Amino acid sequence: MFGQSDLEQWLCPAHSLPAGARYAPPAQRRGSARPVRNADVVYRYDVGFEGFLCCVFESFSSHEVPFAVWTPERETTTLYPVKQIETDPQKAGRVFASFAKKLGKDTERLIMTCFLSGRDDKEVLMLRFLHLAYATGPGVLALLGHPDVAPMYAMQKHTAREVEKWMGFIRFEESGGMLGAVIHPKNYVLPLLKNHFCNRFPEENFLIYDATHMAVLLYQDHKATLTELAAPLTLPSPDEKESYYQQLWKQFYNTLAIQQRRNEKCRRTLCPKRYWADMTELRDEL
Amino acid sequence: MEQSVMDKLIILADSAKYDVACTSSGSSRAGRAGMIGSAYAPGCCHTFTADGRCVSLLKVLLTNCCAFDCGYCVNRRSNDLPRAAFTPRELAELTIEFYRRNYIEGLFLSSAVLVSPDYTTELMIKALTLLRQEYRFNGYIHAKAIPGTSPELIAQLGLLADRLSVNIELPSERSLGLLCPDKARRSIFSPMRQIASASAASSRELTVYKKAAPFAPAGQSTQMIVGASPESDYQILRLTEGLYQKYSLRRVFFSAYIPVAEDTRLPALDTKPPLLREHRLYQADWLLRFYQFRADEILDEENQNFNPYLDPKCNWALHHYHLFPVDVNRAPFEMLLRVPGIGPTSAKRIRAARRQASLGLDELRRMGVVLKRAQYFITCRGFAGAHTEAGSAGRQRIVRALIDPGAFNAGCEQLSLFSAPAVQQLAAGGMAPRLAGKLVQEEAITCLAKAI
Repeated sequence: MFGQSDLEQWLCPAHSLPAGARYAPPAQRRGSARPVRNADVVYRYDVGFEGFLCCVFESFSSHEVPFAVWTPERETTTLYPVKQIETDPQKAGRVFASFAKKLGKDTERLIMTCFLSGRDDKEVLMLRFLHLAYATGPGVLALLGHPDVAPMYAMQKHTAREVEKWMGFIRFEESGGMLGAVIHPKNYVLPLLKNHFCNRFPEENFLIYDATHMAVLLYQDHKATLTELAAPLTLPSPDEKESYYQQLWKQFYNTLAIQQRRNEKCRRTLCPKRYWADMTELRDEL
Repeated sequence: MEQSVMDKLIILADSAKYDVACTSSGSSRAGRAGMIGSAYAPGCCHTFTADGRCVSLLKVLLTNCCAFDCGYCVNRRSNDLPRAAFTPRELAELTIEFYRRNYIEGLFLSSAVLVSPDYTTELMIKALTLLRQEYRFNGYIHAKAIPGTSPELIAQLGLLADRLSVNIELPSERSLGLLCPDKARRSIFSPMRQIASASAASSRELTVYKKAAPFAPAGQSTQMIVGASPESDYQILRLTEGLYQKYSLRRVFFSAYIPVAEDTRLPALDTKPPLLREHRLYQADWLLRFYQFRADEILDEENQNFNPYLDPKCNWALHHYHLFPVDVNRAPFEMLLRVPGIGPTSAKRIRAARRQASLGLDELRRMGVVLKRAQYFITCRGFAGAHTEAGSAGRQRIVRALIDPGAFNAGCEQLSLFSAPAVQQLAAGGMAPRLAGKLVQEEAITCLAKAI
């Protein structure tokens, strides 16, 4: 297993490394069968968790961490060779099964949350983390200050915070017995919002449309489905009853502010302007 | 003339807005088939008002017709003000429609005293029963217990609400007697005691019987007005500590007094709300609840009031500089919590991470520990503490990192509401606010450096 001396080795602070030196994954220093190298290659996979799991498979079988991982949307020109990673459910299943078995349930949850992150380099960060994780085991979660682990927690925090914000800031509009809401999140938050809203409104029919990722969470007849759309969705404009309640809410919101204590900066910190376009009471103030 | 729901909402929300508490935390309840709503234990903010306060509940009064005449209150009997009252059905419908649209986390129901405390509480119980039973509302409800209500009615109210609160309003009996002739100290503390014991009893029962009725599962809170009466910060903090210990309150809220009435017993109408003082009280309140501080460590008989230039934790660290630096890899958790710049989150992360590996500055930075202030108070692997120059220059550097820039009007051309009193005085004398802030800051740094 991982000894104390190994830990000290990778814990050597970055400022003691020569300028430009990159952190090398632990396997290289432990002298295991074949070292993991930073390869000058780009992986391309079809979006989806299964596709990513196949990238993991490829990365481990060729003992390399790619320079970048692309999806069709994030493609640009490059001088590096591009490896097309085909989605193979069998390989994906093998990788996924090993998460809980070898890394523990908590690590599995961390990986799945990080996959929902909106960061462009999330796949490379996750691959680096996984190389460390398989070498360390479930204890990897406690290496909070490690350069390969810290970005994972940062992504998780960013996603979790955004989910928490949207839980409050989503605004439903009723139309024909159906509640509809539009959001513009940075991360793919719908799967993390699902339980909260389905649990809260068991007897309602509602949909939440994620305009950034063109995905819809639909809850109808006590069943929830998450689908990705090919074309943007527009919700119907509010009818009379809906406008009435929107008026009431706006009025309530404006009444609540105490003028002697007005503090715009504090409001923008707690409720950043990027949320305002989707919030009934703040849309007009933009 | 018949009032519409819109008119009533404006009047009754306007009357309720001075109540600070708007939290929806402390109660966890899953949604149930056939009902609407759930309770989310950490609480959820649904929007933020222009003054930066979280809105999480539909905060309204049932009515603002009041029989009492408390000097500091907008709704007092002698104030000329439009009056209104919701019917239980109007209120229930408004709550449900707002809730369905995800505008709110639940209802905060308070009321002025109509006829008598008992009569008002009966009306509140009627409204909440309708909401819970007919409208099948399963979300969060915060209800205000009115001082002087009979225990039987409080017992009923607690079964309908998640959280109850009784406002202390003024931090001493003397001020209470002076400003609220209709409220006695006893009438405030006896419902508080009843709620505390009933809540504890019901949580004990719940561990034995799954179906036991939960009584105010999110506990109780209270609120007091700061700056309307002459109590010192130390008195207020001692009272707060006592409330947490004796009545196991979840929160104590402070509200800077905003003059709403001309009254010889109260500060003049043009007095600015003491926001910096309120801010310091909240900082100290956090130290009591999350940082394992005692009230007499933060302030004492000699220093009765907060230092306007330093937050209470930095102030403590500055006066106990001989206890530092501490080694983050070895220091007990309680000591980590006392390092300026390290809070409960960072301290917990350090505690978890140091079990696996010894920590250096880079690990701390990657873990999200902010080192601006902490660097003068810690050592870690490969770091023996930030050394400052010897003599007063070095001490001044530490103070410069610790002081609260908000108190000096930093970065504002206009005078900020959070400026220290000295800055406000200079600015009132005609000096440009930014210059006044700078002057006071330099003087404060020289002064505080001597304390190390």
